[in-house]
Amino acid sequence: MFSDIQLTNYLLVGAFLFVCGVVCMTTKRNGIGILMGVELVLNGANINFIAFSRYTPLGLDGQIFSLFVIVLAAAEAAVALAIALNFYNNHLSIDVDRGDELQG
Amino acid sequence: MFDTLLELFVFDVQNSLQRFAPELTLCVTVVAMLLVRLFNLDRHVPSYWVALGGTLISFFFAFTDFNMLKMESFDLAQQTIFTGLLVFDGFTIFFRLFLLLFLILVIALTVLSGIPDNEDGADFYVLLLGSTIGMMLMSSANHMLILFLGIEMASVPGYVMVGFLKGRKKSSEAAFKYVVYGAGAAGVMLYGISLLTGLLGTADMVEIASRMNAVFAGSESVGMGDATARTVILALVMILAGFAFKLSIVPFHFWCPDAFEGAAAEIGGFLSVASKAAAFALLARFCVAFSTGQADNLKEFYMYVGIGIGAIAALSATFGNLAAYAQTNVKRLLAYSTIAHAGYMLMAISALVVVLNEPAGDLFARLDADGDGVLTRQIAEQRYQYDVPELYRSDIAIIFDQLGKNSITQAEFVEQAKDPAVVHTLHRGLGAQALEGLLYYLAVYMFMNLGAFAIVALIRNHIFSEELEDYKGLVHQTPALCICMLICMFSLVGLPPLGGFVGKFMIFATLFEAGAVHWSMWAILLIGGVNTVFSLVYYIRVLKVMFLAERPADARPALIPFRSAPSMYCVMVTVPVLALGIFVEQLSYTARQVASILF
Repeated sequence: MFSDIQLTNYLLVGAFLFVCGVVCMTTKRNGIGILMGVELVLNGANINFIAFSRYTPLGLDGQIFSLFVIVLAAAEAAVALAIALNFYNNHLSIDVDRGDELQG
Repeated sequence: MFDTLLELFVFDVQNSLQRFAPELTLCVTVVAMLLVRLFNLDRHVPSYWVALGGTLISFFFAFTDFNMLKMESFDLAQQTIFTGLLVFDGFTIFFRLFLLLFLILVIALTVLSGIPDNEDGADFYVLLLGSTIGMMLMSSANHMLILFLGIEMASVPGYVMVGFLKGRKKSSEAAFKYVVYGAGAAGVMLYGISLLTGLLGTADMVEIASRMNAVFAGSESVGMGDATARTVILALVMILAGFAFKLSIVPFHFWCPDAFEGAAAEIGGFLSVASKAAAFALLARFCVAFSTGQADNLKEFYMYVGIGIGAIAALSATFGNLAAYAQTNVKRLLAYSTIAHAGYMLMAISALVVVLNEPAGDLFARLDADGDGVLTRQIAEQRYQYDVPELYRSDIAIIFDQLGKNSITQAEFVEQAKDPAVVHTLHRGLGAQALEGLLYYLAVYMFMNLGAFAIVALIRNHIFSEELEDYKGLVHQTPALCICMLICMFSLVGLPPLGGFVGKFMIFATLFEAGAVHWSMWAILLIGGVNTVFSLVYYIRVLKVMFLAERPADARPALIPFRSAPSMYCVMVTVPVLALGIFVEQLSYTARQVASILF
């Protein structure tokens, strides 16, 4: 049964995650929601990398890539959450629409 | 077997670490700064001394490499390090030197303007140095993993630096917007990279060209009709979107004015120059990796990619210049001006892609002026790159040497050009010229843009404002700074005899030559020229306020005498802008040497 699963199936899951992430990034007004969308996009790419490393000559490079991306996503999330907290302290909200002082 | 491998590995690591000395020094400095903080030594030794010391040592290493190369030859030193993840060549060394020099200037500026106080100094310089390490990695990337990691490593500290003024509403808003857009762009770029590497089966940038050839070997022309081609186009669009975000090119520029207005001017200056320079270095490497030795079907496709890049560049320059008109905040105005300048510089990249991908048949037709279908060696050498120094003129000769004849027909020419080695050398003269313009522009841009941002920062310390109307009549109080601002802004416009003029002239000259390959380059050249005139108006508006208006009596005074450190700093940054406009030969020769390494 599992032998039916091909590269395309994995890529579809990756693409689905990517699209979910992009939709999340573009529609959410809540800052944390947007950051969750970013995580979905990164993980969509990760699934692609792992699948490619299994089915194409990309080999180990793909797995190394996804390991680095996981570490990097954690670092980026830490920084982004710190900045979101700072935003909250100044605006008492993490609604991105509340940031309207910089315009023009 | 295992022993040999181990030996090779040890040798590679030793060699690589040696070549990696400038970056390592910066890493050690970062750790040292945190230790100084930990042991409470920062009461006695301010952290900027540690940062400045480390950067100077790092600069010394980079400079030694540069001198060594200058004495020998730039071509000799090309090697990949860390098992092919990074490449160490003249291009790397040039950008290391560039970034480190810029870092020294920025640290000096922050000391003068005092934006991180002693309490926060260690944090700030750790971020600044960390970001610079990322940029240095970007400029030496040879693998898609380093491409992505370098971009992220340069950006993430940047997000924090923008939000460094913690209690300010504007600063936190700017950082939040920057991090949200930045993380989104990085995610999209990573997805593009995953598609591209998966399709090509390699993440090594050196192999991209040959794998692309192999993937599209069968197809007549590469276009939307083919599923594989569609995937490549999608991946390229996503990756270029990531680049466009870093470069603040038009559809992805939203963050730039907000981030620059909210952040301190020093940080705006750092981000606008350093991260752009590194991103351009990386983009140049990326484009060259795609365009070396391609078959004709791919060349046509890449040519359209190049024209697309050019269209975005023209749009970016126009938008940046038009949007700058309405601005009342000087930092915001400068942010729109950086968007426009990124557009000008991207024009050089588009010319690079177009000239590197001229199909052999078109090249033949272009050289064969009389149209009789036979090209002699003499005419070819004359018409191919007539104004390029001796060093590169013989590029076309390789075709005649390989054939062993002194005249060639179109069919033979196209046949010869199928050999990757021949194609590679055919286009390198024009390609090097395009890159030379970019490098020169970046070098001038470093000084003139830093100068403008530094003056804004230093004046802010006195009048506590960055609004244009508070700048009225400043010339009566700080003549030195105002005259430096005048020089920087005229150079940003591109007026002779300043450096900005030379840089712009070089890029426009390349566009003109690329116009012979495809007419659209002439259209882009025209847009660029018109934009230069547009931009004159808003720069002049700032200068008019500073020079011609009377200083209101109730305005805060900004008395900065000529014999003071801030004035001296501004003069020091402005003098190279003048010098690079007058003594062109030295830098342009180095830039040309560095540029030709990539081909």
